[in-house]
Amino acid sequence: MMHELLQFSLCLLAFNCFALAKFNHYREVFKTRPNEKQSKQFLLAAWISILLSLVLSVAQHSGYGALLFCGYIAVSLLILMIFYSFKASWVKVMSMLNISVIILSGLFLSVF
Amino acid sequence: MKENFFRSMTWMHTWVGLLVCWLLYLIFYAGTLSFFRDEITLWNQPALHHVQTTETRIAQQKSQIIAGFDYLQNTAADSPRWGIYLPSQREPQLNYAYEKPRPEGQRFGGWQDHFIDPQTEQTIEQPRATKGGNFFYRLHFDLHYLDVRTARWIVCFASLFMLVALISGVVIHKRIFKDMFSFRANKGSRSWLDGHNVSSVLALPFHLMITYTGLITLIFMLFPYPAMTAYEDGVRGLFNDVLPTNVRSKSSPESAPLTDIEGVLDHVYTNWPNADLTQISIRDPNKASATITVRASTGTQLRDQTPTLLFNGVDGSLIAKSAAQLSNTEVFYDSMTALHTGRLANPLLRWLYFLCGIAGCVMIASGCIMWAKRIRKRMKKQQTASFGVKLVEALNLATLMGLPLATCAFFIANRLIPINTVERADKEILAFFLTWLAVALFALFKRTKAQWRQLAWLNAVACIAVVLINALTTDGNIISYFQNGQWALFSFDLLCIVFAGLFVVQAKKIPTQIQINTQMQGSRRSAKTKLQEQS
Amino acid sequence: MHAQSVKNSQTVSITSKLSHIYQAHSYRIAVFSRFLAAILGGYTFTAVFTSLLSITLPLKKSDAVLLSVSLTILIYSCVFIWVFAVKSLIRIWITILLTTAGLALLLSVLKGWL
Repeated sequence: MMHELLQFSLCLLAFNCFALAKFNHYREVFKTRPNEKQSKQFLLAAWISILLSLVLSVAQHSGYGALLFCGYIAVSLLILMIFYSFKASWVKVMSMLNISVIILSGLFLSVF
Repeated sequence: MKENFFRSMTWMHTWVGLLVCWLLYLIFYAGTLSFFRDEITLWNQPALHHVQTTETRIAQQKSQIIAGFDYLQNTAADSPRWGIYLPSQREPQLNYAYEKPRPEGQRFGGWQDHFIDPQTEQTIEQPRATKGGNFFYRLHFDLHYLDVRTARWIVCFASLFMLVALISGVVIHKRIFKDMFSFRANKGSRSWLDGHNVSSVLALPFHLMITYTGLITLIFMLFPYPAMTAYEDGVRGLFNDVLPTNVRSKSSPESAPLTDIEGVLDHVYTNWPNADLTQISIRDPNKASATITVRASTGTQLRDQTPTLLFNGVDGSLIAKSAAQLSNTEVFYDSMTALHTGRLANPLLRWLYFLCGIAGCVMIASGCIMWAKRIRKRMKKQQTASFGVKLVEALNLATLMGLPLATCAFFIANRLIPINTVERADKEILAFFLTWLAVALFALFKRTKAQWRQLAWLNAVACIAVVLINALTTDGNIISYFQNGQWALFSFDLLCIVFAGLFVVQAKKIPTQIQINTQMQGSRRSAKTKLQEQS
Repeated sequence: MHAQSVKNSQTVSITSKLSHIYQAHSYRIAVFSRFLAAILGGYTFTAVFTSLLSITLPLKKSDAVLLSVSLTILIYSCVFIWVFAVKSLIRIWITILLTTAGLALLLSVLKGWL
């Protein structure tokens, strides 16, 4: 279960970064304009994160993992859609939570 | 030319989508429910509610099969077919079934089930007759009342249109990723467009996959030509080539004793040590042409064809076995069917499939509604709505709100129709279609916002009624399911409550006529005050 | 002489009626024809094309059939979209009919049906 949690939260983080790389979404969350460099960094982080998520799920379950990955995409988009449309101010908290889940599950997996 | 291309794609997206959207909604709806086919069947059979999976499930299989042979030999020695269905994670009961004597001129007499609790090894009382989840599964591609072949052709063409609409939809939304997470609520048709976009993007890989693979499952009916060109006897020739266990010898009337099943099982377990068997089927038992087919579970592999061993039923020799290694093309083809049916899915993936299926339903529904709204807007000047608009609106209301209500009626009928009624399973289905018909007639009369609201309330009440009636008529309820860890049943009831909640939200969101009037007055007033301020 | 002119005027009136109907419903007829080209034309083209594919692919017989069968839907939907993307209806029909006929000819030569 920890594996799936890590894969899912990486996917969520990736799409969160994709969203923040967009002008409108960034402004809604941070109330300031993103500069070019920040957008690029978010995009880079997003791609790394989403590829990591895909690689991890495929490495663990092969074809079945790819299917799971599609499902993760759907759920993360749903969650982000709800946050960005209705509670943009909570995105920061959500991202913090998301990152800590990644770190915790990553630590858990590397220790056990 | 480029601008033209996008315009023609938009045009096609609208029309191709609209021609079949109600049928597609039905297909998606029934298909989404079919992901929980076994769970729905379980819910519909309260007699099986207390059967639980044993921890030594796989280890017990051998003795269960031997006991099954004894039972069937004693009760139905001259039946044309036997089946032993072993317990699985999703269906914990053991079933020894045999085919009832065939009525004159019919090719199949129907199964007589005999359910056994694997834990206590006691016979379970015969559960009520119901189609359960299989009803939705068949509805998904057989459309129930139609002739099977016609229905499948219709479903195929609807799916083809769906695929084309999906591809053109991706093409026309060049800026799909610009504001991908925006859903502007309470903005009229803008919200519907956002809803349409979000639900499509959300599960786009799933939508494409499920439509394509869905067509692949019926491909040999749709395009038998490649097989007909390459093989003398067409599709049958291909199947005999690819599936060696598919061969079927002619039944012979000559009787011959059945082989010792233990010898066959020894053979099975040397071939597949630690196999998780799913079913044993015996054709023509106690006849010279007897065969025994043994199937094992595919587990979570992306594979639809189950590993199969085919034995001669008289001398117990192995006739054929399914290929252990598939070629790349076979894997490619086979995995598509596996992807569509999702039988491989563990609970997590099954829920993800379900969620994506719902996203598909939302996508189709929002598309239908958006289009009706647009035409309405354009119509405003002429005052009277044409027949086409009325039809579209009536179909929208009847399909989108009627199907959930009909489903609730199906489940309520399952609990309320007396257990010994003749043709009970068909009566449940009749309840489904009668309710749907009633909603359709209702929609013929009036289709304003008030009707949508009334039906939303009715749906909410019906969803709650399913849970309540279940609690009143069976010995379990949502709380006891939670306490006893009967998760399939608990999730079923919980989903009903969630959907009831969603329908309440829907009913509250639809503005009443008074609210519309005050809103309009408000906006007019503000416009007036603005004008006054300016002057 | 007289009879012929009557006949002529009749045919003229029929053709003019037809062209009148066509002009009145030209949009609908064009749409109908486009759908017909997409559904039926696309179907025949795909059927012939994949049949040809199933005997020309350099694979085991069953593999070739399974692969071409798996690709049918992809080909069909591509043809479908192409029909709606091209502007000229006449070009669509000519292309579909010619390619289908050509492939069918090739197929029957290869299979020795002729």
